[in-house]
Amino acid sequence: MRKFRLIAPVMAFVLVLAACGNGEDGGADGTGAPEGLEEGDGSIVVTSLWGGAEEEAFVAVLDAFTEETGIEAEYEANRTDYATVLRTRIQGGNPPDVAIIPGIGFLRSFARDGSLIPMSDLGINREDIEGNYASGILDVGVVDDELYGVMVKLNSKATIWYSPERFEEMGVEPAEDWEGLLQLTEDIKAAGATPWSLGAADGWTLTDWFEITYLKMHGAEAYDTLFSPEGDWTDASVQETLDVIFGELLVEDNVDGGVDGALATAFVDAIGQVFSTSPSSELYYGGGFVGGIATGQDVNPDLAGQEGTAIDWFPFPTVNGSGEGLVTYGGDVMAALVADSDVAAFMEFMTTVESGQTWAEGGTIISPIVDVDTAVYPTTLIQAEAEQVTSAEAVRFDGSDLLPAGPDLGALLQSALRGEDMGSLLEEFQQQVTTAWEQE
Amino acid sequence: MAVSSPPAVATAPKADREPGAGFNWAAVLFMAPAALFLAVFLAFPAVYTVALSFNRARRGEFTEWVGLDNWIRLFTEDPNFLRLGFPPSGALWNNVLWLVFYVSLCVLLGLVIAVVATRVRYEAFIKALVFVPQAIAAASIAIMWRFIYSPDAETGLMNSILGIFNVGPVSLLGSPDTVNWALIAVGVWSSVGFTTVILSAAIKGISSEVLEAARVDGANETQIFWRIIVPMVSLPISVVAVTLVVNVIKLFDLIYVMTLGGPGAASRVIAFSMYQEAFPAGQFGYGATIAVVMLLLLIPVMFFNIRRFRAEAVQQ
Repeated sequence: MRKFRLIAPVMAFVLVLAACGNGEDGGADGTGAPEGLEEGDGSIVVTSLWGGAEEEAFVAVLDAFTEETGIEAEYEANRTDYATVLRTRIQGGNPPDVAIIPGIGFLRSFARDGSLIPMSDLGINREDIEGNYASGILDVGVVDDELYGVMVKLNSKATIWYSPERFEEMGVEPAEDWEGLLQLTEDIKAAGATPWSLGAADGWTLTDWFEITYLKMHGAEAYDTLFSPEGDWTDASVQETLDVIFGELLVEDNVDGGVDGALATAFVDAIGQVFSTSPSSELYYGGGFVGGIATGQDVNPDLAGQEGTAIDWFPFPTVNGSGEGLVTYGGDVMAALVADSDVAAFMEFMTTVESGQTWAEGGTIISPIVDVDTAVYPTTLIQAEAEQVTSAEAVRFDGSDLLPAGPDLGALLQSALRGEDMGSLLEEFQQQVTTAWEQE
Repeated sequence: MAVSSPPAVATAPKADREPGAGFNWAAVLFMAPAALFLAVFLAFPAVYTVALSFNRARRGEFTEWVGLDNWIRLFTEDPNFLRLGFPPSGALWNNVLWLVFYVSLCVLLGLVIAVVATRVRYEAFIKALVFVPQAIAAASIAIMWRFIYSPDAETGLMNSILGIFNVGPVSLLGSPDTVNWALIAVGVWSSVGFTTVILSAAIKGISSEVLEAARVDGANETQIFWRIIVPMVSLPISVVAVTLVVNVIKLFDLIYVMTLGGPGAASRVIAFSMYQEAFPAGQFGYGATIAVVMLLLLIPVMFFNIRRFRAEAVQQ
């Protein structure tokens, strides 16, 4: 058995190579869809880690695809251990046709493993679809100068969530700069409430904090360098950012449950601390998707329909006077693992305004496709989020998703939250990041 | 005698056979299925894993020979696996903590409960009670204890009790200083039933004459425990201890469900690191290196076990 399992991926790889060769020939003829591309069997499987409302919204897109092309599209959710399941399927010679990959580190790793089909092999060339996207969006899917994936959904990560009603009761207002945010924190405490909820058990919630603050403080150029192989984590800018977040704002008295409590609170529970029926704190910083979760089954469905009164967000403020108009965002990239005509048709469909519009109507995502009309977003919260991203001076992709797999930025920031001395930890992290970039 | 006689018997019929047939084909035939399964499912994967540990191994295949790079990185550049210093930390060190505290506490508590339980009328009830966790799947135990440890006093049993005394709330799983101890406590809770039942059976096997003789000679109960009972059940204790040691080296499920190796990487153990590096991070060569470390740690334990089984066979 073991031997066959080894042969299967090799066989699959050979088939893929064969398909690739044909695809390139077709592309060179300039006939759009490559002629040599293997004919599909009329159905495709798409995997992702979404469930609940996010899944429903995406299945609507798949249905629209089936209606247009007659190709059956099945959705398969792997809610946990996404990378593990995907790797095992690839190893077993049974990859899904299309995978939606969270994290560019993973995309690079899969691409360099030779598991992904370049878009050009499916007859989709960058210059043909470039006009559909804002500048920089397609760059995210490029590995070693080859376009492997296309961003299909994104969320702003520059939103701070609160309840306007409770703010009114306390007589406080959203902040516009860092001093304002510190003052707001003090005012909430003065009103007898706990300011910040933090889901620090999930390390990535802290990486979002770090990324937006770093971007605002040090600008887009420094941000790009830090999250590239040239990045230096022992640079003073990193320590300064940590001091601002964990020295001024997220300190013991400002955080629900104290630092230890926050470190044991998972992300959804932290949203619940602000938006459940018995809230215990007032502010939650997290991506635009927080709105969907807070008004969903996991937290408080009663909030749905009360957007703007019981739940709303304000933009992450400038930090020490800088960072106006800078926004971080997170998103998922779609990539093909099988080269056939059905997959090519699906990938092409996903770059159209029609697919973006259908998906946007579901109210769980921001479409990266520029021509999607913001009026189709079902709630004012998401409309405002879409406008924040499209009107931003510069947007930057979630930095921890750009880092190679291995070094755990979330864990590093958990140490910072606990108030540990970061000097040696940052040196150690720098070493790990260097190794990880080399290992990719 | 028993050891030396079989070869003598075996050589006699061999002489009757054709020349050149010094090979027992029937024996080979009977062993073949077992040998085949061992070769396919044990020997081959083991050799394959060792070979992978010297390779970059993209997709788990041999892609790029990297020599000792994985090994050097594992022991010198990976603080999540081993960070020397005071106190040391990392997955390997956590396994050492487990080995020392989990094994000794399980054996000691099991022994004490077994001895005390034999002296009361409701012994069966006590043993059933401590044995209950053995009947619960490890994942369920992990989820149960995650609730018990929850810092939210409304769901967390521990913190609601502490709340009565105006302490806390404390988050044992949220702090790297306490997380390993909290996990080891769960491990002990779930395994004490196993040691109690085995050791209790062994204690029952001690002849009452020995104990009475000791009492007649004026030994008190503490002396009887340490000088009579413990030495007389030393063999079952070593059986139990070896089983627990193997449990520790294989430990994965409790960590995976309760903390995912966190906070940060504070509660990782070797098996969890292997999973983390090989699957989510896709570094199969590096993961294989950690797997080989596990194998190397298990070999002496197995060697000890086999030696003891042989010794017992000879005694019989």
